[in-house]
Amino acid sequence: MSQAAMSETYDFLFKFLVIGNAGTGKSCLLHQFIEKKFKDDSNHTIGVEFGSKIINVGGKYVKLQIWDTAGQERFRSVTRSYYRGAAGALLVYDITSRETYNALTNWLTDARMLASQNIVIILCGNKKDLDADREVTFLEASRFAQENGKRIRSRKNGLRYSVWRCCLETAEITTKSTSTKCSGMWVLKKQNTTSNIFTLDTEAVRANGV
Amino acid sequence: MANDGGRKQFWKRSGTKVPGSIQHVYGAQHPPFDPLLHGTLIKPGSKPPTTPVKLKKVSTFQEFESNTSDAWDPGDDDDELLAIAAENLNTEVVMETAHKVIQNHSKLQEQHKFLEEHLQEEKQVESAELTSVACGDNRLVKSVSEGHTSSSSGNASENSSMQRSQSLPQTSTPPLVSGMADFNTSVTPALTEREASRLDKFKQLLAGPNTDLEELRKLSWSGIPKRVRPIAWKLLSVLLRKHCVFLARIFLVSVFSAMKLVMGYLPANVDRRESTLQRKRKEYFAFVEQYYDSRNDESHQDTYRQIHIDIPRMSPEVLRLQPKVTEIFERILFIWAIRHPASGYVQGINDLVTPFFVVFVCEYIEEEEVENFDVSSLPEEVLQNIEADSYWCMSKLLDGIQDNYTFAQPGIQKKVKMLEELVSRIDEQVHRHLDQHEVKYLQFAFRWMNNLLMREVPLRCTIRLWDTYQSEPEGFSHFHLYVCAAFLVRWRKEILEEKDFQELLIFLQNLPTAHWGNEEVSVLLAEAYRLKFAFADAPNHYKK
Repeated sequence: MSQAAMSETYDFLFKFLVIGNAGTGKSCLLHQFIEKKFKDDSNHTIGVEFGSKIINVGGKYVKLQIWDTAGQERFRSVTRSYYRGAAGALLVYDITSRETYNALTNWLTDARMLASQNIVIILCGNKKDLDADREVTFLEASRFAQENGKRIRSRKNGLRYSVWRCCLETAEITTKSTSTKCSGMWVLKKQNTTSNIFTLDTEAVRANGV
Repeated sequence: MANDGGRKQFWKRSGTKVPGSIQHVYGAQHPPFDPLLHGTLIKPGSKPPTTPVKLKKVSTFQEFESNTSDAWDPGDDDDELLAIAAENLNTEVVMETAHKVIQNHSKLQEQHKFLEEHLQEEKQVESAELTSVACGDNRLVKSVSEGHTSSSSGNASENSSMQRSQSLPQTSTPPLVSGMADFNTSVTPALTEREASRLDKFKQLLAGPNTDLEELRKLSWSGIPKRVRPIAWKLLSVLLRKHCVFLARIFLVSVFSAMKLVMGYLPANVDRRESTLQRKRKEYFAFVEQYYDSRNDESHQDTYRQIHIDIPRMSPEVLRLQPKVTEIFERILFIWAIRHPASGYVQGINDLVTPFFVVFVCEYIEEEEVENFDVSSLPEEVLQNIEADSYWCMSKLLDGIQDNYTFAQPGIQKKVKMLEELVSRIDEQVHRHLDQHEVKYLQFAFRWMNNLLMREVPLRCTIRLWDTYQSEPEGFSHFHLYVCAAFLVRWRKEILEEKDFQELLIFLQNLPTAHWGNEEVSVLLAEAYRLKFAFADAPNHYKK
C-alpha cells in the first residue's frame, strides 16, 4: 500500500526508451541508473524490460518510465511497437565497436519516426572502461550529434553522476515544456521543434564473461 | 508444415477427429482427476472409437506404432537416409559400431545391476507405503480407467493403471485458480519414496530390448527421475516423430516433410540406440568440420559475434562462465544458425541449449550439484557426445517452433494473440484488469514464448516442464500456450492488487518463482492440462 502511495507522488510521468545495438550495455545503464550500482551479470534482454524511477527536477517529481529494449535485429519488429509516446530516448552505442556506432542513424530515424519528431535523445557512448579498444572517438560522436541535433552538451564526469545528470537534464528540458495527454498517460512534449542530442561517454559495462 | 492441420484447428479439433485421437486420451490420467470436469466433459465411449474413421487400417496410434516400430527409425530425413546408405557400405564403421554397441550394452547392464542393488533397501521401505497408497486411491484408479476407456490401448494393464494412480496424489492439489497458497506443504520423505518407486518403473521400462514408448510417455508426463532423464529425453523424441508419421499418413502429406518437422533422435530398440547415437554424433562433428571455420568469414561473422557476446549473458546462469562450456555452446549455436538461415541465431535460442546440456552432463555426475561441477573434468570423448546430443535435441525442439524465430517472429505474435484470447475466456477479470491498465500481452508474454518460460522459472523447473513437453504431442509449440495461460492466472491475486501499468509490468517481468520446485510445476502443468482439455475443443466456451 505504501508503495502504491509512493508511486502516486509525482507531478509528471514520462516514457523513456533505451535503444541501440545488441550488447552495447543498455540494460547495465538502466540498472546503473535505478539501483546506482554496476551489474556485471546482466542477461541479454528479450523484447522489453521495465524500470522505473522518480526523480526530482526543479522541485517537481518526475516519474521516469523506462523501456529497456532488446537490441538484436530480429526483435526490431516487436520493439518498434514500444516507441509510441516516448518523451526521451537513451541511444546507446559501444565505443569499442564501430558497427554499433554506424547503426545510430537508423536508430535515430526509428525513434523520430515512431515516437515523435521532438523526442529528446541522449547519445551515449558506452564502455569507456575499455578505452584501449576504442574504435569511435568522442569528437566523432560529438560531430554526429551536432549534425543530427541542434545543441550539444558533453558530460565527461564520473559515470554514475553522468547518467543521473543526463536523465535529469532530459527531465529538466522536458518538464519545461507543455504537457499533452497521450495514450492514457501523461507525457511531456517539447514546445520548440528542435530536438536536442546530448553526447556522453560512459563506462557502465565492465568486460563480461572473463 | 505437417502440423498445419493441427494449427488450423487450434480451437476446434473435434470437427475432424483424427482416428485414434492422440490428443486427449493418454494424458487424462496424469493430471489431477477432476470428477466435475470428467463428468461433464468426457462421456466415456463418446470419443474416437465412435467417430467415423477415415483410414480403417490405422485405427489407433498404439496399433500404428507397433506396426511400424522400426520402419522409420533409422532415418530422420532424406539427408540422413542417404548418410545411412553411405555408411552401410563402410564395413569398418559397421564393425566398429557393433563393437561399441556390445561394449556399451555390457556397461549398461552393469549399471543396471548397480542401481538395482542400490535400490533394494529403498524399495523395502517403500513397499508398505505403496500398498496403502494404492488402496487409498481405489476410487481414483477406478475412475481413471473409466475415463480412459476411450483409449483402445491394449497394453494398459492392471499394473500400469496402478502405477499411474500413484502419481496422482502428487498432482491432485486444488486448482490454482482458487486458493493457491497451500501446495507447498509436501512431506519430503514420502516424496523421495515415491521418487524411488517411479525410478523403478522407469528402469523396468527402459531395461527391455524394446522400450514401450507410449508407456514411457505416460510415465514421463508427471516428471522423469533425474537418473534416467538423459536416456528418456533422447527416446521421447522418437515418439513425437512417430506421431507425425502417423498424422502424415492420415492427412496424406509427405512423410519426409512431416518427419523433418519433428525429427526423432533415438530408436526404441536398444540394440540400435548406440549406433544411432554414434552416427548422429559423427554427423554433427562433420558439420563442425565443414562450417565452423567459416565463423570469421564476412557473411557469418555477425552471427558468430552475436553468439559470442550472448553466451556469457545467458539465462540460466549455470555453468555459463566455464570456458569449456562457452566453447561447446558457441559451436552448437553457430552450426545450428548456419544450417537454419531462415531464422539464423536469435537471442533466446542460446537459453534452449542449457536444459539438454545440463541433463546430459548429469548423466556423468553422481552426487554433486551441477552448478559446482567442473565440466572440463569430463573426458573429451564424453564432452563430445554431450555436445552432439545437445545439438540434435535442441535442433529437434527448434524444428517444431522455428516460426518463433523467423522474420517478424510470426509464431510468437500468433501465440501471444492466442494467449490473450484464451485468458479473456478463462479469467475475464484478470484480462480486463490488464486491459484497463493498458498492459499489452506482448509486453510480458513475448519473452514467455521466445524463451519458453526459461526466464521466468528456475532451471530445475524448466527441466521438469520439458519432461512433460516432450511427452505431450506438440508440447513445445502448442501445450506451452496453456502452460502460459495457467502461469498468468496463477498470479491473479497479485495482478489484481497492482493498480499501475508500470508496477504491473515490473511484477509480470519479475515473478517470484525463485523457490519453485517440482511441486509448483506439477500443479501448473495439471492446470494447463485442464485448460487445454476444457478450452481447446470448445472455441466458444465462456466466450462473450
